[in-house]
Amino acid sequence: MKPIDRRTFLCLSAALLARAGAAQAGLWPFQGDRHEASGQEDIRGAIFKNDAPKTLWKWHKEGFSYQKLADSKVMCNICPNRCLLAPGDRSLCRSKVNMDGTLYSLAYGNPCAVHLDPVEKKPLFHFKPRTTAFSIAATGCNFRCLNCQNWEISQVKPHEVRHQEMFPAEVVRQAKAAEAASIAYTYSEATTYFEYMLDTARLARDAGLNNLWISNGFINKEPLLELCKVINAANVNLKSFDDAIYRKLNGGRLQPVLNTFRTMHEQGVHFEMTTLVVPGYVDNPEMIKAMCGWIVANLGPDHPLHFLRFFPNYKLTRLPPTPASTLDSFRKLAMAEGIRYVYLGNLPDHPGSNTYCHQCGKLLIERRGYQMPVNHLEAGRCSFCGTTIPGVWH
Amino acid sequence: MQLVLVREFLAQFQGNEFTISLIFFSWLILGGLGAWLALLAIRRRPASPVLLARLSLLLAALAAIEVLAIRTLRDIIFLHGADVGFYPTMAAIFLLAAPYGLLNGFLVPYSLYVLRSQEPDYAGARIYLLDNTGNIIGGALFSFVLVLWLTPLQSVFAANLPLLAAATLLVSCRQQLRPVFLLSLAGAVITLLAGLLLERQSLTPFEGRLIHYEESRYGRITVHQDRELLTIFVDGAPIFSNQNVSLDEETIHFPLSQIDDPRDVLLVGVEGGMLREVAKYRPDRVDLLEIDRKLTEVQLRYQLLQPLPGLNLIHRDGRAFLAATDRRYDAIIINLPEPETFQINRFFTGEFFRLAGRHLRPGGILAFSVAGFDNYLSDPARLKISSLYNTARLHFPHVLSLPGNRVFFLCRDRPLNPDIAALLNSKKIHTIYISSFFSGNITPERLSYLQENLLPDTPVNLDTSPFLLRIMFQQWFARFATSPLPFTVAGCLLLLFYLCRCRREELVLFSTGFAIMGSETLVIFVYQILFGYVYEQIGLLVTVFLAGLLPGAWLGERLRQGRNCRKSLVLCDGLIILALITFLLALLTAHQQLTPGFFLLFGFALSLLCGCQFPLALALGGGDNPAAARTFSADLIGAACGTLITSLLFIPFLGIVWATAGLLLVKLCGIAALAGGAGKVKSKK
Repeated sequence: MKPIDRRTFLCLSAALLARAGAAQAGLWPFQGDRHEASGQEDIRGAIFKNDAPKTLWKWHKEGFSYQKLADSKVMCNICPNRCLLAPGDRSLCRSKVNMDGTLYSLAYGNPCAVHLDPVEKKPLFHFKPRTTAFSIAATGCNFRCLNCQNWEISQVKPHEVRHQEMFPAEVVRQAKAAEAASIAYTYSEATTYFEYMLDTARLARDAGLNNLWISNGFINKEPLLELCKVINAANVNLKSFDDAIYRKLNGGRLQPVLNTFRTMHEQGVHFEMTTLVVPGYVDNPEMIKAMCGWIVANLGPDHPLHFLRFFPNYKLTRLPPTPASTLDSFRKLAMAEGIRYVYLGNLPDHPGSNTYCHQCGKLLIERRGYQMPVNHLEAGRCSFCGTTIPGVWH
Repeated sequence: MQLVLVREFLAQFQGNEFTISLIFFSWLILGGLGAWLALLAIRRRPASPVLLARLSLLLAALAAIEVLAIRTLRDIIFLHGADVGFYPTMAAIFLLAAPYGLLNGFLVPYSLYVLRSQEPDYAGARIYLLDNTGNIIGGALFSFVLVLWLTPLQSVFAANLPLLAAATLLVSCRQQLRPVFLLSLAGAVITLLAGLLLERQSLTPFEGRLIHYEESRYGRITVHQDRELLTIFVDGAPIFSNQNVSLDEETIHFPLSQIDDPRDVLLVGVEGGMLREVAKYRPDRVDLLEIDRKLTEVQLRYQLLQPLPGLNLIHRDGRAFLAATDRRYDAIIINLPEPETFQINRFFTGEFFRLAGRHLRPGGILAFSVAGFDNYLSDPARLKISSLYNTARLHFPHVLSLPGNRVFFLCRDRPLNPDIAALLNSKKIHTIYISSFFSGNITPERLSYLQENLLPDTPVNLDTSPFLLRIMFQQWFARFATSPLPFTVAGCLLLLFYLCRCRREELVLFSTGFAIMGSETLVIFVYQILFGYVYEQIGLLVTVFLAGLLPGAWLGERLRQGRNCRKSLVLCDGLIILALITFLLALLTAHQQLTPGFFLLFGFALSLLCGCQFPLALALGGGDNPAAARTFSADLIGAACGTLITSLLFIPFLGIVWATAGLLLVKLCGIAALAGGAGKVKSKK
């Protein structure tokens, strides 16, 4: 190595020290502002090659919407993933398989979670308050959300869980026996057990029960239109308003979800939207403002929007919870943008869970958890000013 | 430096027993590889004091770079805020530790080669002795001094100054200091200084502000502020916040609502909101146990803990406190993280439940909780909850488990009422969350779902056989949809390959390294069970396990000068086996009567025998440079395997008695190899 002189030595030393000082002053080279530089860009899933069972089990049904292709391949048309499956392959959502050129759902009549929940828990605040929903889920999801509350059923294959046998007619029978007003397709991603949901919903509708679709909204238009014929209400997640975050945190895409909202709005289905405010990712006021602007411009001001407080969950356990004031400010921001009904969830005893008339501003429904100590709604109208409040109230 | 890196990794990755073992495993394996690389290096080029000095400077600079790299790359490679699964954790730990670990492992035998280039008869055992002297001093200095007063990068700076001085001395003794060396020295010093300046910057979170940072003996405490929300993180995981109403209410009211008039309450590891809820019962005395004094101080400083009439803060290990006190309580409420480590698991065992039961008044209640489920009880969660239920039922006639995102267990000597909301109503205690949400979340249907899914045959969780740890490992793997099988198979194959290439004396050292590190893990585990987690005492145990190496190496060197090294080696092996048998018998017959002195003596004896074996094995291997490298490697690789296998396989799956038997078996294989002629024989003496 060539010797250096004293001058060079001093200059280099000074340069190194200056760099260290600059870093201390806030120029730490690796400190990104937010999430952009962190982790994998895209966590979307993939199909499972050669993962289908050798034979079909009892709980199966041929896929509702798919294309048969050359070489016995099939393409599932239920969600925008449009899984292309060769014989023996399993779909990204883990529920569908290609058996000798035919697409089958393996999540049919085999719910792994069955509970009776208050409808407010979905959350649906403008749909038949204080009624109960007979809630079912089979396994599967077409997303890979890092904060999934139900990952033990959404991120597994049908045979990996304990399930009950409950074909559509039995679901309806049990829902009636439980005196539920509705059947909710929920917990995991209902779109992935579309065939089971659709058949059950048709029977339920004939039996006078309501159908509630609780979903991430990642579904193609054709099956959605079919679903819209039988569902009475939906709560659909709008996980963020940034495709990069959808890919990074949820393993999904934004645009198809926006399309779902448009279709449901056009079909006149009552739906509410939910956004989980994840600190550092989904807490940018500019993004929330743009999101609310899009909602008002495309869906109008009447669809309720729920902002939910984040708590560490599943794989996202090293983040703090969302500050209450962030949610509060988003509520104000959304209302300022023109959305009439904005609610805050996972925040007990906050006025943000009450319903106020968008016309006169008076308190219509006071909610304390699942209770409603105050209700000034009469036949879907404000009892103070008579304004019709959007929703399905009876 | 090893201890600094261990703390860094634990602060960045999931702090379960797997991660802890992986860190030690990687460190030791890298050390072994480094020693082997040193051998390759001197085959190409003679050992040089100047190169040794330069590499020492690089090692010092790497220390600071390594700490900063761990902090920074964690959030670049992996998503900020997200947990990391087993394989990525393993890869990250191994790769991030590699530069320092390899160089560190390289320099120990390389120093020997340098010395031998000057003095050909220099004994390999002396380097071993000196290395261990440094290890003991460094370990004790860090554990008892540096960790209390300095931040990690300050510790790195302080710990590396002697290395810089030694490197400078080494060169200056031989030649005039040249600009290249001076530049390298300046670079190392500047890097270490830059580390000091970047300490806080490198810990700043993406979201919110870092308003407080300090290191306690038990981990890294940071306080993040996001608007009005304050969250205390310990080792990167959020543990307390000032807006956690639902958890605060559930933790306190689920148990206290059952009792008519709770006068004396013991809380283990709670946050301020919980104290606020306790205050609604107006108890006479509330004892709050928190092992980490600094954590409580931070809670008080940021008003995450408000003083309460009758509140006593006790900074002791919960088990040690209960074992020592005669006080009895109306309620003992445990709010601890998941039982993912040996330390935490001690609060979820049958022995602890019995201890807690002895400190309850008639009608008193023990309450604890673990992560639960929203809508479906998965198999690992089902086993975990069933095991806890079955364990609690051994000591309490009535156990109520309440479902939810956390599953709460209430244990008592009389019936329990699951309708908490009604109980609170009757007591006229106002709550925000329970009064509004309980009816929809803990419905009779969900209560019976949980009850119906409990498995009566699930093994109970005991101090001596921590079944729950197995389940926690299962849950971790399930969460990331991975299996430990590929790692196990690949590890076994590599180990088999390595063992097949070992010479007899290396096999002995491998088995000794295995037994020593395995015993250390086991002793720390048993010690915590019997005497609680007392930082100084655990630190002393670790030190004792190193301290015996020094006189051992000295003794071994003396024995080496005698004629029959093989005989002495076998004798040492026999004594190690005897020590393990003694330990096993003590566990079987009188483990409750064992004193701390027994463990210290056992640790010292084992390390003494291990230290004694090194010079003997080295001499048997020929004593030359290749033998030194291989002997160092065998010891380190054995130690790495001992740590990993004892922590993750022996203790969770076999329990402590059979784990000791397992270590004994490994050692017997070692002596059999030596006696029976397995492995290669060194041809040249």
